[in-house]
Amino acid sequence: MKTQSALAKFVIRYPWPIVAFFVVLTAFFAMQLPKAELDTDMKSQLPADLPTRLDLERIEELFGGTDMAMLVVEADDVLAAKTLERVRVFSEKMQRIDEFDRVVSVFTAKDLRGEDGEMIVESAIPRIPETDERREALREQLAKNPLVLGNLISKDYKYTVLIGFLSLEAEDEVLLDKLNTLILQTPGDEQVFVGGMPLTRVSLTKDMRKDMRRFLPIGLVIMIVFLLACFRQALGVVLPFVMTVMAIIVSMGLVPVLGWKIHTVTILLPVILLAVANDYGIHLMARYQEDNVPGLKRTSAEIVDRGIAELTRPVLATGMTTVVGMLCMLSHVIIPAKQLGWLAAWGVGFAMVGSLVFLPAILVLLPPAKPIATPTENAARPSASIIDRLLTVMAKAVPRRPKTILLACVAVCLTVGVGAFKVVVDTNPMSFYRETEPVWRSTHVLNEHLGGWAGVSVVFEGDIKDPKVLQRIDDLEQHLRKHPLVGTTTSIASVMREMNRVMNDGDPAFHRIPETRDLVAQYLLLYSMSGDADDFEKLVDFPYEHAHLMVKVTDSGTKAATEVLDYTRAYLAQHGEGAQPMLGGLLDVMAEMVGYIVWGQIWSIALSVVLVGALVGVFMRSVVAAAIAMFPLALALLMIFGIMGLFGIELNLITALLSSIMIGVGVDYTIHFLWRYRDERRNGLTPELAVHRTLVTTGRGIVFNGLSVVVGFVVLIVSTFFPVQFFGLLVAISILACLAGALVVLPAIVLVFRPKFLEP
Amino acid sequence: MKRTRFAKTVASLTLCLAIGAGLLVSPSVDAAPSAQEVMEKAAETRMVDGSEAVVKMSIISEKGQVRERTLALATKIYDGGKTEKRVYRFTSPPDVNGTGVLVYDYDAKDDDIWVYLPALRKTRRIVSSQRSKSFMGSEFSYADVNAPTLSDFNYKFVKEEAAGGEPCWVVEVTPKDDKVAKDEGYAKKLYWVSKATYAIRKGEFYDLDGKLLKELNSKNIQLLDPKKKRYRTMYMEMVNKQNGRKSVFESEKAALSTNLQDDLFTTRYLERP
Repeated sequence: MKTQSALAKFVIRYPWPIVAFFVVLTAFFAMQLPKAELDTDMKSQLPADLPTRLDLERIEELFGGTDMAMLVVEADDVLAAKTLERVRVFSEKMQRIDEFDRVVSVFTAKDLRGEDGEMIVESAIPRIPETDERREALREQLAKNPLVLGNLISKDYKYTVLIGFLSLEAEDEVLLDKLNTLILQTPGDEQVFVGGMPLTRVSLTKDMRKDMRRFLPIGLVIMIVFLLACFRQALGVVLPFVMTVMAIIVSMGLVPVLGWKIHTVTILLPVILLAVANDYGIHLMARYQEDNVPGLKRTSAEIVDRGIAELTRPVLATGMTTVVGMLCMLSHVIIPAKQLGWLAAWGVGFAMVGSLVFLPAILVLLPPAKPIATPTENAARPSASIIDRLLTVMAKAVPRRPKTILLACVAVCLTVGVGAFKVVVDTNPMSFYRETEPVWRSTHVLNEHLGGWAGVSVVFEGDIKDPKVLQRIDDLEQHLRKHPLVGTTTSIASVMREMNRVMNDGDPAFHRIPETRDLVAQYLLLYSMSGDADDFEKLVDFPYEHAHLMVKVTDSGTKAATEVLDYTRAYLAQHGEGAQPMLGGLLDVMAEMVGYIVWGQIWSIALSVVLVGALVGVFMRSVVAAAIAMFPLALALLMIFGIMGLFGIELNLITALLSSIMIGVGVDYTIHFLWRYRDERRNGLTPELAVHRTLVTTGRGIVFNGLSVVVGFVVLIVSTFFPVQFFGLLVAISILACLAGALVVLPAIVLVFRPKFLEP
Repeated sequence: MKRTRFAKTVASLTLCLAIGAGLLVSPSVDAAPSAQEVMEKAAETRMVDGSEAVVKMSIISEKGQVRERTLALATKIYDGGKTEKRVYRFTSPPDVNGTGVLVYDYDAKDDDIWVYLPALRKTRRIVSSQRSKSFMGSEFSYADVNAPTLSDFNYKFVKEEAAGGEPCWVVEVTPKDDKVAKDEGYAKKLYWVSKATYAIRKGEFYDLDGKLLKELNSKNIQLLDPKKKRYRTMYMEMVNKQNGRKSVFESEKAALSTNLQDDLFTTRYLERP
């Protein structure tokens, strides 16, 4: 026992207390788990001082809730008496749901007409038509009503929508339960869907939760199979497995301890840990099997002693780089993404320390396992696994043609990397779903036929009765209507235009903003007498100082929302004099949040390249080492973004966050390789022989390690979300690229350039 | 069987005694009208042959912001009470000054309404199939300010309780069918009717889910027509208990005017500056 390090001494002397400590710690966090609460509220994820959040709060203060939940009714002809009767019941009952501030439907809509000195104010559907003639008469009348056709009823009369504005206190799930109950209690032949942002939020969270429940068991099973294939020994399966499960428990348990909540993004944590946390245990077991040679009859303590001595520094190095990589997520503005960084770092750190202390302590307590033949010097025995044989082939090939290999790899990566320029940044919740899902259907119908699924708000300040102010609102509204992604728009300006026309006997020449302030005031008074004053509740505030232009967007992606917002901003910048209107709304918040996450992640990756590189430089005491270690990673990154661009996979919330694992994990393989290579060179081997020996020994651990990450991500294939499945595959590919980088490109570099820091 | 009949007899006897005792205490026997009669009387005492008034309407938001309008109002009864003609003219705020409304309120058919907008210099007849829920954006609904068809409702005494400093009957008014309930928007109303003047001193309005929606309080009830015992409530306050908004209708001046010219109730008059 001459190699004993302080850590090894400690572990061998106190195995029981160490095991007990880790078990108690895990048990403590396991007990916290049930306290973890889910939080789907979008606003709470944003820092309180974020401009879009402040804007939204201001809008809500002035006009109440702007969020909408819709009921879409689909029939061959929505004007059929039976269908209308059902819609009428929906409309009536929706108005009595407390979560709604206000409900708009064909039964609340009005028909305003002006003829022969009369102003006629009727319900858009005064009575449900029972005969064919009456139905066609109604159809004719509705066709002339701009409030209804293409807005509340689709132009082909196949769809009608009931829109409920959520009160500020409304809770999504409670509301959706009520809506679903309402549909069940009002049976009929028509298809009825719930739609809008609340549904999207709830569906996303529900499916994510479902995913999480599915990921974990399947992921763990896949891991067991994988570990069994690698180590062909119960010990090799159980120990890394236990370590991973403990890391997941300990990091998820930290959520309630810190008073945090589980957000949509937090759900990625188990996936990340599933992929990463077993790495250190795998290295430990690979070393254990390597040292547990048949002839030598070493004791458990001796094997552990050798293992710890050899692995402490590389495991610490790789673990720390991964932790640093995760902590780079702290650069996020979005709170849950920051939290994910802390939680993942904590989980990885726990797994790293556990693999150096807890797992060895268990090994000390157990008798040595039955030795398993591993290829060392005399490789390529018949019993060796495919991996071992492959490594042997590589170990022979790379030293022979390092330059050719290096150039070929760089060429391939650069070619694929061109695709990176085509990567689209867009988070469209609908792209997560198949077309058969109700949430996809309702959103599609709303966008295609009923003027949009969610809204953007423009708030004007000033004397709203002033025709100049109204004209400004109207100009913007008309401009926005020209945009292909804009659906329905609503404002007090368009109401005033309509009133002006109606009061002038329906003359289209008067379909414009009234000319004097007094006339505007008198129209408003008139409307309050003959219409419903509540109709304006969302459009103008009580003292007539703020007006609200509501713009519905007909595409559910953040890119579309940003496009409409930018289009609006550009117009306002050109036509602005005096106080600028305020732009905002839930879509704005969503777009900004997703933007922050995606771009924040790109920054976080860049940051982690620098920091992790610096860390490698410190470990190896060489700047060149940092550059060399990061080179294969850069190639892998180029590959992944290139493939995304070429295959049209969007960089969205989920794909961006998952890519955070790349750097912290990918660099591990390089570190392991460099470490072992340097050791072998110091032991007096020539560079070629050192590469060969490193590949067939440490190479094995690296491959197991890499494959375990790949296997972890393969789990994503069972996801409910279509792009997530694809992305799982993509990360798997990119990790393979990292592996190739460490096992092919890196040896080639080392052989071609012979960097000084690796020379004895 | 026997025991039940016996018990019944005892019960009715007790009841007789109780009523008898009540009669003895009560000063006059025929002064106790039925609940429906009370409400009929309450409606009747509000019917004035002709009147003039200046009314200030304040609509107060949940944040305490106030919107004020003032209007001059004249009414006259025609056809022996079957038709009431009303003319309003807004005097403030300045931007609606001169806006006029003429209403022929018929017993048997829909009202005729004309509106004159001075900024448009035109009169328009307003044909509205639906009565909007709110009266000029206030917390008062049309149903609250207009006399409802009495036969649409059931009436019941609930209790006797003072309101506005006067002893009152508390009458519960419930719609006879769903349609009436939905049209009006109430499942139930409670009225505190003054025993002395039959004026409504307080009201509670319950929404279709049975939750308290609004509360009405009135003050300053003036005897307008001493001969016919007709009253006018000079101050009415309606508070929405669910959203915190409030509206106050306050008559600044009110007078009985039995000989108003018929010319006043024409569109020509509306358009006169």
